[in-house]
Amino acid sequence: MAGLWGNIDYAAFVVLFCIGLYIIIAKQNLIKKLLGLNIMETAVFAFIVTSGMVDGGTAPIVGAGATGPFASPLPHALILTGIVVAVSITALALSLIIEIYRQCGTIEADELKGAE
Amino acid sequence: MRQALVAITVAIAAVPMLLAVAGLPRPGDAQAPVHTHVAARYVAEGARETGAENLVTGVLLNYRALDTFGEVMIIFTALAAVMAVLSSAAPRRPEDDAPGIASAIPISPVVAFIIRLTAPFIAVFGAFVILKGHVSPGGGFQGGVILGALLMLLSLVLGRGLERPLLPVPLARWLQAAGPLAFAAVGMLGLALTGALLGYPAGPDQQLLRELMVIVLELGIGIGGAAIILGLFLEMRGD
Amino acid sequence: MVHWLPLAAFVPLVAGALTPALAHGRPGLARGWALAVTAFCIFATAALTRRVALEGPFSYAMGGWAAPWGIELRFDEFSAAALFICVIMLLVLCFSGPYVRRAVPAARITWYYSLLLVNLGGMIGFVVTADLFNLFVFMELVAVSGYALVAVGGGRTAALAAFKYLMAGAVSSALILFCIGVLYALTGSLNMADVALRLATVESRAPVLLALAGMTAGFLVKAGLFPVHVWLPDAHAIAPTPINAVSSALLVKLGIIGLLRIFPLFGAAGVVSLAPLYEALAWLGAISILAGAFFALFQQDIKLMLAYSTISNIGYIVLGLGLAGELAVTGASIHVLNHALIKAALFLAAGAMIHQSGYRTLHDLRGIGRVMPWTTLALLVGALSIVGLPPTAGFLGKWYIALGALEAGRPGFAVAVLGGALLIFIYFARMLNAFYFRAPSHEEMLAVREAPASMLGPVLLLAALCVLGGLFGRWPVLLIAPGVSRLVGGG
Repeated sequence: MAGLWGNIDYAAFVVLFCIGLYIIIAKQNLIKKLLGLNIMETAVFAFIVTSGMVDGGTAPIVGAGATGPFASPLPHALILTGIVVAVSITALALSLIIEIYRQCGTIEADELKGAE
Repeated sequence: MRQALVAITVAIAAVPMLLAVAGLPRPGDAQAPVHTHVAARYVAEGARETGAENLVTGVLLNYRALDTFGEVMIIFTALAAVMAVLSSAAPRRPEDDAPGIASAIPISPVVAFIIRLTAPFIAVFGAFVILKGHVSPGGGFQGGVILGALLMLLSLVLGRGLERPLLPVPLARWLQAAGPLAFAAVGMLGLALTGALLGYPAGPDQQLLRELMVIVLELGIGIGGAAIILGLFLEMRGD
Repeated sequence: MVHWLPLAAFVPLVAGALTPALAHGRPGLARGWALAVTAFCIFATAALTRRVALEGPFSYAMGGWAAPWGIELRFDEFSAAALFICVIMLLVLCFSGPYVRRAVPAARITWYYSLLLVNLGGMIGFVVTADLFNLFVFMELVAVSGYALVAVGGGRTAALAAFKYLMAGAVSSALILFCIGVLYALTGSLNMADVALRLATVESRAPVLLALAGMTAGFLVKAGLFPVHVWLPDAHAIAPTPINAVSSALLVKLGIIGLLRIFPLFGAAGVVSLAPLYEALAWLGAISILAGAFFALFQQDIKLMLAYSTISNIGYIVLGLGLAGELAVTGASIHVLNHALIKAALFLAAGAMIHQSGYRTLHDLRGIGRVMPWTTLALLVGALSIVGLPPTAGFLGKWYIALGALEAGRPGFAVAVLGGALLIFIYFARMLNAFYFRAPSHEEMLAVREAPASMLGPVLLLAALCVLGGLFGRWPVLLIAPGVSRLVGGG
């Protein structure tokens, strides 16, 4: 309802998401594909965190002397979980790439397709 | 050519997404449903109900504890997954690696000295982040990652090919399961005390018990996370 | 006991985390531990299914916090799939004993059982949760363990197949998470029932449309529907056969159950109508039926043939969902359960053959019917079920879907159902002809013996369930009928 210019933050993250998708599809090197996946996931996390922001707000820590509007703590918790998921997938993907390299000697997708 | 085609397709796919986000409430609007619905109670009552002034920790470990349990399980699954993909009975020697993998990077003595010098401070900082995670920014995951990174640095300094691993493997496996174990323990305690799995006792005079349960969870997450990160690193390196 | 609901997911997950610690260096103990935990899960999910059959759906508030401030677990009629998941997993674990000793490197066997337990816990959690983000977390648990299990056997192409599977799965998960974020920004809540309520009052149309389309696309990729099925054949060809059984029978069904969970969210939303989506699903399902069956015809490798057959059967289920009538959706839901039984039986039987003889292609396996009569009999029963002959399990689902197509006035789709069955019949007839009536291609075939008991037992039991599931097919239909009416009536 705020229009694209009002939600320019969201639009930037959508662009980032699509850049990540492009890298996954277009690049041949497996590590680059993995980096594209990370960019995609980071874009989603940034999108979710931004939705919890509030004008003039501060971190959601209500200690002594903390005042003012607080950012919503729920998106922070969500993306903490999301980041851990992304790290786990990256760890597994990296170990798969290590195994591919040990078995096939290359990590370029077009060379791998030819060798299959 | 192919890359241009892919770029055009992705750009076309971006258009509906841009139209969609244009229709969302403006980020930062204090009247958006994000702030007026569930989060309003978290902000207003969270510190009192959960015992954690850091509301994010309150949400993670109290209101939405099942999500955090799932997250801890995913970290463990990452370790299990890497082990399932890479482990083999024969220990890999540096000569076994395919040419191109830099097996033994000699570490400069200056770097090694600095790491050894700063290691205790980093460890204290990591422990601080874990234990103070419920009143200031921080928490089990953050502290666990700091400790895990420290362990990785130390293993770089100590080099490869130790005759015996520093920790006996069974102990390492128990440490890596520390996160889910902490959740199981606190979850069962909550079940016994309040009748709901992963529940916390709600009375105002049980504030200390609530904080204690949160700290146990944070410690479990932190220690488990650090052990798992080290395990991942060592397995990928080929030990 | 009301706490069975969270424990059914909680226990296998914690048990999976403890498996490497408890069973370090002793793979036999890991298997026994996994079997014991799965038996517990069968008991818990059976108690829950009994309760939902008698009383209807019920909820559990995690930590005592009511929805939407806490996470709500809700066991409804579709959650009864958890019982099927546990039973099939138990049989797969039993079968795995001798199989993985040969197929998986010894150092990895304990991790194999650990990952399977995590997979089980994730699947159970997925079908019982009523919170969108919790759904995502359990989905990722199932996904990460699934990717690793594809590569656990080692070998030249395993890691690459697992990597492709990971990419497809992670991209679809990122899309689903993005759409969950959109729904959260619109409604401020993550509980499914609460989101459904609040979406009804949202005015802007584009975000709701994107959330619906994005989540549907994400779940269809995970289900392996044509044309986004490309990760499925490789993952199935390379993984160890018990993992194939888990993938085809259970993992792809999670995509379908995901769809069943998200459609009611949008049913009440005034701004979007689900009818065009259903239309698209019906067409995609019909195309998938025929494409999957068609590709299966050209496969020589028995596992690839079964993998394409899975794509075809997912097409049936999606067609049933797309037709959106009560009969069609009942047929689709029943087929989710029945196809799980049938595919598990087929894959385990094929696995027993591969394990005993060492061959995988139809040409090399000729004549195996004479030396492994029981296993081939189970394969025959599974083949009859998947073609859809009464009174086996596969008949009821396809019959209801075809009836639903006629009821909706779309006879073309009923023709697709029949056409698919005919194509399936052709390739299974060809396969069984080779197994029973052709002379063996290899000398060693004559020395092949029947599979050991811990492998043959699950195979025969699943084949028997294929027949029993057909004879007693009314019971699942009655069980899920209230759920189907709610789904069709609301959406």
